[in-house]
Amino acid sequence: METVTYMINRHVIVLLLAYSILAGCSGIKTYQNTLDKNLHIKTETESGSMFSKVRAAVDIYRVDADCKIEYEGTVQLKNLSVDVGIPSSRLSYLVFVFDSSGFLSGSSNTITYSTLLKPRVGYNYDIKVRYIDDIYNVVIRETDPRMKKSPEIERNDLNDCGSF
Amino acid sequence: MKNSVFCAITLFTIFLSGCAGTMPQTADEFRKAVPGAFMAKVDTFEVDRPFIDVAKTFQSMAPKCLDVRIKTISDTYQSHQVIVAKYNPTVIVTEEKAELYVQERHEAGVLAVYKEPEKGHFLMVVDAIPLDKNRAQITMYRPSKGHDVMVKAIKGWATGENVGCPDLTK
Repeated sequence: METVTYMINRHVIVLLLAYSILAGCSGIKTYQNTLDKNLHIKTETESGSMFSKVRAAVDIYRVDADCKIEYEGTVQLKNLSVDVGIPSSRLSYLVFVFDSSGFLSGSSNTITYSTLLKPRVGYNYDIKVRYIDDIYNVVIRETDPRMKKSPEIERNDLNDCGSF
Repeated sequence: MKNSVFCAITLFTIFLSGCAGTMPQTADEFRKAVPGAFMAKVDTFEVDRPFIDVAKTFQSMAPKCLDVRIKTISDTYQSHQVIVAKYNPTVIVTEEKAELYVQERHEAGVLAVYKEPEKGHFLMVVDAIPLDKNRAQITMYRPSKGHDVMVKAIKGWATGENVGCPDLTK
C-alpha cells in the first residue's frame, strides 16, 4: 500500500514537472485580459470529422511606432463567446490560430489569420470566428454604440502598418 | 497523406504540360489544356445567386484567403521534406464575366521542370457568367485529385454557403 502511494506521488511529481517544463518552453502565455472589454469574440468550430478536433485561439501582439511586434499573450477561444480588452487608439496585431489534430493519426495542422487592428475609443468590435469543415473565416465589425451600423473592418496586413 | 497530395500535384502538372516540355502560360491556354488532360477536369454548375454577388465574393475572398504561403513539413524515419508553396490569386470582373485564377509557385522543396508563368503554374481557373437576374453559371477548370478544400471553398464563394477560407494545410 505504501509502495503504491509512493509510486502515485512520484508520478504526480513527474507529471507536474513535465507540465511546468512544457508550459515554460512552449512560449505560450495567457493574455492579461484586464482592460475594458472592447472585443466580443464569438467562436464556432467543427472539424467535420469525428476523428479530429479543432481548437481556436487568438495571439495578441503590441505594435510599436516602428511596426515591430511584441507578443503579449494568447486567449483561448474555447467558449462560444469571449470578451477581450485591448488598448484603444493603439495598433495591435491579432493572430487567430486554428489548430486541428487527429485522434488516430497524431498529426496536427495549424493555419492562422492575422490582421492589424486599431480600436477607436468607445467603439466595440464584434468578431466572428469560424472553422467549419476545413473552411475558416474571421469577420470583424466595428460598432459605434451611438449608431446602428456595424461596418466590416477589412483585413490589414502587418506590411501595411506604416499607413496607419 | 501529404506525399500523395504532392504526387497528385506533380502528376497534374506533368500531364497538363502534355509531356512536351511546355506548360500553360495564360489562363486561356490552361482552359484549353484541361479538358484533355489526365488528372484534371472541367466542372460546370449553376448557382441561385446573382452574378454580381458571386463576383463580389470572388473579389473579397480571393485576396483574403488565397494570397498565402503554406509550408509543409513531412518527416518519416528516413526522410525530412520541406515544401513551401506560395499561392497567387487573380480576379478579373467585367459585366459579362468574373474570372478567378489561382496560381501556385513552389518556393522550396519542388523543382519547376518547365518554364512557369511569373505567378507560378495555373492550379485553377474559375469563370462565372450571368444566366439571368438571380442565377449564374460557374465553370471550374481544376485538378481532379487534390486541392479538395480549395475547390470546396471556391464553390462556397459561388453558392454563398459556408463562405470562408480553405485550410490549405489539409
